[in-house]
Amino acid sequence: MYKLTGVTKLYQKGRRTVPAVRGLDLVIEDGEWLAVQGRTGHGKSTLLNLLGGLDRPTEGTVELDGTDLGALRETQLTKLRADKIGFIFQTFNLIPTLSAAENVEAALIPLDVATADRRARIAAALESVGLADRAAHLPSELSGGQQQRTAIARALVKEPTVVLADEPTGNLDEDTRDEIIGLLEKLWRERGLTLVLVTHDSAIARRAQRVGVMTNGRLTIHQARRSVTSRPGIRCGSGSGTFPDHREGQDGPPPR
Amino acid sequence: MFFATYLRRELRRRMRQAIFVALGLAVGIGLVVTVSSASAGVKKAEASVLSSLYGAGTDVTVTGPAPSFKAPSSSNGQASKQGTQISLTPSGAQICQNGKCENAAGQTIDNVAPQYSPMKSAEVADVAKLRDVSAVEGGLLLTDNRVSIPKDFGQAGGSAPPAPSEFSVDGVEIGRSSLGPLSAGTITSGHSFTAAEADSHVAVVDSGYATGNNLKVGSTISIDKVKFTVIGIVRQGQASSPNDVYIPLQVAQAFKAGGSAETGEVNTIYVTAASAADIPTVQHEIAKLLPHATVTTAASLASEVTGSVTSAAKLANDLGKWLAVLVLIAAFAVASLLTMSAVARRVAEFGTLKAIGWRTRRIVAQVLGESVIMGILGAAVGVGLGFAGAAIISKVAPKLSADVPSSSGALSQTQTTVGPGGVAHSLGPAAPSHTVPVPLHPSITVGVIVLAVILAVAGGLLAGAFGSWRIARLRPVDALSQVA
Repeated sequence: MYKLTGVTKLYQKGRRTVPAVRGLDLVIEDGEWLAVQGRTGHGKSTLLNLLGGLDRPTEGTVELDGTDLGALRETQLTKLRADKIGFIFQTFNLIPTLSAAENVEAALIPLDVATADRRARIAAALESVGLADRAAHLPSELSGGQQQRTAIARALVKEPTVVLADEPTGNLDEDTRDEIIGLLEKLWRERGLTLVLVTHDSAIARRAQRVGVMTNGRLTIHQARRSVTSRPGIRCGSGSGTFPDHREGQDGPPPR
Repeated sequence: MFFATYLRRELRRRMRQAIFVALGLAVGIGLVVTVSSASAGVKKAEASVLSSLYGAGTDVTVTGPAPSFKAPSSSNGQASKQGTQISLTPSGAQICQNGKCENAAGQTIDNVAPQYSPMKSAEVADVAKLRDVSAVEGGLLLTDNRVSIPKDFGQAGGSAPPAPSEFSVDGVEIGRSSLGPLSAGTITSGHSFTAAEADSHVAVVDSGYATGNNLKVGSTISIDKVKFTVIGIVRQGQASSPNDVYIPLQVAQAFKAGGSAETGEVNTIYVTAASAADIPTVQHEIAKLLPHATVTTAASLASEVTGSVTSAAKLANDLGKWLAVLVLIAAFAVASLLTMSAVARRVAEFGTLKAIGWRTRRIVAQVLGESVIMGILGAAVGVGLGFAGAAIISKVAPKLSADVPSSSGALSQTQTTVGPGGVAHSLGPAAPSHTVPVPLHPSITVGVIVLAVILAVAGGLLAGAFGSWRIARLRPVDALSQVA
């Protein structure tokens, strides 16, 4: 569970101090799917970086399962990321010289997983994203969707409790976008992950349990928690903007 | 396994850059190897000159002060009480030896004079007792002077003053083959001295002198009118200026020519130091112990060697060394810059790895591994280039020569002149030098190859260190922000 209390993040741009996140209080339950929307430069990615321990708040605390991330040393943060957090990036961020399987393997290297176990987990991860037959392909030999599937497999192979996805469909066409979001939703449901997904796309955000909108560094929750099962089976469409506050109920996270 | 796969793939992706860095290091390493091999070759050439000048096991040579001779008076024709003098009288030439005068016409004057003032045997023992001295041998360097006075010398219309001849005689200790003047020579005919010949009138003759005087094993030669049987012919190194005749030390000490070489006395001490590092100490200690003696070492003798071999040594040591250092620095700088640039291009990649939990040191190890592989490639190619460079030097290098002093350790020579005033022994100028050709064979030792590999790997590590420094300072959030 994430608990953010009075989180402010300021950046220095020349002589100006720019607030990226201001006085944020937020609780993200275990197994919850939170979508964060907002216009470019309003603090979405900064929030994700704070949640992932990639950045430290200027003020306030970010706690994950009771641990204040801001108080951890860099090596401890690194270990926490290796153990608990999976990242999915807009630009996939695969290592171009490594095959799909090797890219997935890269996430297991810090965990010192035994070779046999490592192979089994890589195969299972690629299988779960439907890329078992593309294991030996280099990223340049994969389509955009396949690359993002590889990145999802890399994020999930270490069996994290949290997945942070920054515009995971931003570089994909509409069909592929649906495919990837469908995959993420399926994995989230199956694995009981805590999923924080930053997106511009309202159609994608609508599929989350809760939607928050970042405006000038402040987060406004526009949609209360709801059960995934009660969520309407919408198909992603084009269009963006903030989400209306449906307040369909607070059913809590899906069963793990 | 993952480490190796990642490393190999990355090097393959940056193959051109990797080859460029490796080649840069290779050129630097190749130069170092070539210069080192040439330098080693020149040093070997120098050493061969010095060893033939000096004797294989001799580190320090101690010689007594040069003796002083009084020139005979040429004005009054009076015989002095000491030495040999020829004077012209109205009745013809007269020879006076130790105050006893007789008609000199038709006589041959043959006497032996020491090349240096004597040192007592106790002084040899004192040198042997020095802490850093491992072996000591005494020697007695003499000069046999010979003048044949023509029968009509001194008469009106008679012959011109006769030209004197001389040859050097070296009294050597018997049974010491690793030290002293005979140690660097090779017996080409007959044999060297045996213990039984310590007090025999036998001689070993230098091959050059033997050829010039038609001597061979079994011939006899006369030294101070005493007959010696030639038992061996010795050939000394090309660069050396050997003595003409070697006789047992005991026998040499029996000559009392000039009244200076008394029994038990020597005028040269050959010294071996406990180790090469001790030579300067030994030199210093002996100089303190025997303040009037001249102490020379191979190093001090080396300073007297001139010619293209020394120019080549200077060239290899100065220009070559600095050229190699400069090229290496340039290669290191290029390797470092290229690694930095490669790291800069891979910022997003390293940021991603940090985000997914890779510790900085693991990423640094990956980058260092790539740099070290480039260094090892550079070393391999560099050693090859070095061998090629050495081969080219061997083929095209001009022949070296060394100008060496004609007499080892002899700072001056005695000169004998015969004139109306008599026979005069005097100290002449330092012996003239002679030139010997020295072959240059560049040699690549295992040490040089190890040095090359160490340098190349160090170059790779240095380049990797710069990249690693950048990685260590990289914040994943900054790295990832560069992707978007």
